[in-house]
Amino acid sequence: MAPKDFKCLLVADFTIDGFAGYLKNDEDFPTVESIVAPFDQVVQVLMDGDLECWKSKPDFAVVWTRPESIIRSFNQVLDYEAVPMAQILKEVDEYASLLAMMSGRVKSVLVPTWVSPPYHRGLGMLDLKTGIGVASTLMRMNLRLAENFDESSNIYLLDTQRWVSVAGKHAFNPKLWYMGKVAFGSDVFKEGVRDVKSALSGIVGGSKKLIILDLDDTLWGGVVGDVGWEGIRLGGHDHLGEAYVDFQRALKSLTKRGILLGIVSKNEEAVAIEAITSHPEMVLRLDDFAGWRINWQDKALNIVDLVSELNLGLQSVVFIDDNPVERARVREALSEVFVPEWPEDKMLYRSTLLGLRVFDTPSISEEDAGRTKMYVLERQRSDLKKTVGSLDEWLRSLDTKIQVEELNKANLQRAAQLLNKTNQMNLTTRRMTELEMADWARQDNHKLWTFRVSDNFGDSGLTGIISLEFEGKVGRIVDFVLSCRVMGRKVEETMLYTAIKGAKSQHLDRIYANYIPTFRNKPCLDFWKTSGFSYNGTDSCFSWELCDEYALPDCIKIEGEKEA
Amino acid sequence: MEKGEIREVIYASMRTINEQKDRGDRLELKEDTCLFGRESKLDSLGLVNLIVDIEQRLTDGFGVEISLTDERAMSPENSPFMNVKSLTDYISSLV
Repeated sequence: MAPKDFKCLLVADFTIDGFAGYLKNDEDFPTVESIVAPFDQVVQVLMDGDLECWKSKPDFAVVWTRPESIIRSFNQVLDYEAVPMAQILKEVDEYASLLAMMSGRVKSVLVPTWVSPPYHRGLGMLDLKTGIGVASTLMRMNLRLAENFDESSNIYLLDTQRWVSVAGKHAFNPKLWYMGKVAFGSDVFKEGVRDVKSALSGIVGGSKKLIILDLDDTLWGGVVGDVGWEGIRLGGHDHLGEAYVDFQRALKSLTKRGILLGIVSKNEEAVAIEAITSHPEMVLRLDDFAGWRINWQDKALNIVDLVSELNLGLQSVVFIDDNPVERARVREALSEVFVPEWPEDKMLYRSTLLGLRVFDTPSISEEDAGRTKMYVLERQRSDLKKTVGSLDEWLRSLDTKIQVEELNKANLQRAAQLLNKTNQMNLTTRRMTELEMADWARQDNHKLWTFRVSDNFGDSGLTGIISLEFEGKVGRIVDFVLSCRVMGRKVEETMLYTAIKGAKSQHLDRIYANYIPTFRNKPCLDFWKTSGFSYNGTDSCFSWELCDEYALPDCIKIEGEKEA
Repeated sequence: MEKGEIREVIYASMRTINEQKDRGDRLELKEDTCLFGRESKLDSLGLVNLIVDIEQRLTDGFGVEISLTDERAMSPENSPFMNVKSLTDYISSLV
């Protein structure tokens, strides 16, 4: 059997073997080896890191409890006794403290929220009355648990109620409980596994970043080339027109989470662009798209071309097309691209999009919300590039400014996000949680700098990381990570300049970098070969003697640094 | 309900159980596959899951409400869960 990508410890106060089975047999990335902690030993497992179940050093943990089991006062609520809310919430806080304590042993902890079976009607019409209702109390408990982890960077609550709703009447079966101490039906477990896998994928940087869309019968109804933009079905007092508008709205909302939109469509470009810019009910306008290929070429080729322009990898792409033939073609030609089955019924477009489990991320930063804008700015930069002569001239015209900072509380979240999401310009593809990253950078022989890039067109945000580990007189560049947004604009050289300057301040003689190849980081190797560092051409090791100066590119200004 | 239909319900439930099991431990969809006892690849928890899944499928698909968990069925002697065929016959006798 092929080794799994990660190990996940399952801690529960009920029999969770069925969930463990589905989790380990799910072959989508990332694959997971399930380790089941001893049955109904939740508190002991959380408190004692020396227990056998921790020996295999799991990467993640799922801690799933029943409210009546872990919060003692909740039993009194179930018995319709009056219990002060403060007492219940104190117990919730105590449980949260145990989870927080345990979270240091793994990269991340996933905690399914507490639910009660739908056949338990509590106090019926009074069940949502504050202070007495079972449902009301359970909601407060879940909210309190969530609030405990608002500041946590590695504990995430998952919505069990959604899994229960999807599973319907078979979500709970008393027979499973009495005969096997299984708290949920298999459909709840299956749905839970899908969400856990989606979360894990997001945590390790596997979430999708770009949705490439067809136009005719996907973003609007009808063929714009035949009927003109005035004749397409979009909005109005028309059920299908409304469905297309809602689908566009849902797509636009995803851009606020940092998901980019692109177009690959077989159409006359001028005709399609006119529809996008002129139709009064278009929700998505040109500035909502990071890029497009509208022509009569093969869609697979167009996707490759567009993804390359946006400096992304094919594994980051979702392709949505109403035409099953085009979907099959892209699936066959580009196996890395995720091509969801798409409903024929246009009224199901929005719900199908919102149900996709490929966009989970462990955090959402300000940069995410403005990502599309950054690509639009990049398009404007490229347009400028066509009007100016040489590359150097163009770079100088950008007036790029870089703010260099060591890792701190304010930039940690974005830095961790960048480290875990970046594939192409990434020297070693090391992945770390925020906690691990902060711990690493805190050590005396480690240095980590972040780079925030802005130019005449706007702020690209925190887009670069370089880190250095040193021993004696020699330093090693551990991370060299740059967002594709700013690749090729001399930020790379500025990062090396910064690391060399930092190494000199530590009185080192030499620094070196070992490139670790992956399927996706060849652009990084290509840069290093031109970086000026000496390279023996065989073992992917690059080095720099610190007696030599490394010049700051003349098109770059580092904020706070005096010009030479 | 025809025995063929009952057998297909049992197979569908076995497929669901197989999704939780390692490749080498999966149940073969055959009439003589053991579901209970030393020869079976199902442990007691697996058997509980199988029984509940079969009951749910019979209710959802055919409107048949039966209990496969009464004393007689769960007795080790002459258990109807010995194999797929015996379980098919047992369910057929109940519906």
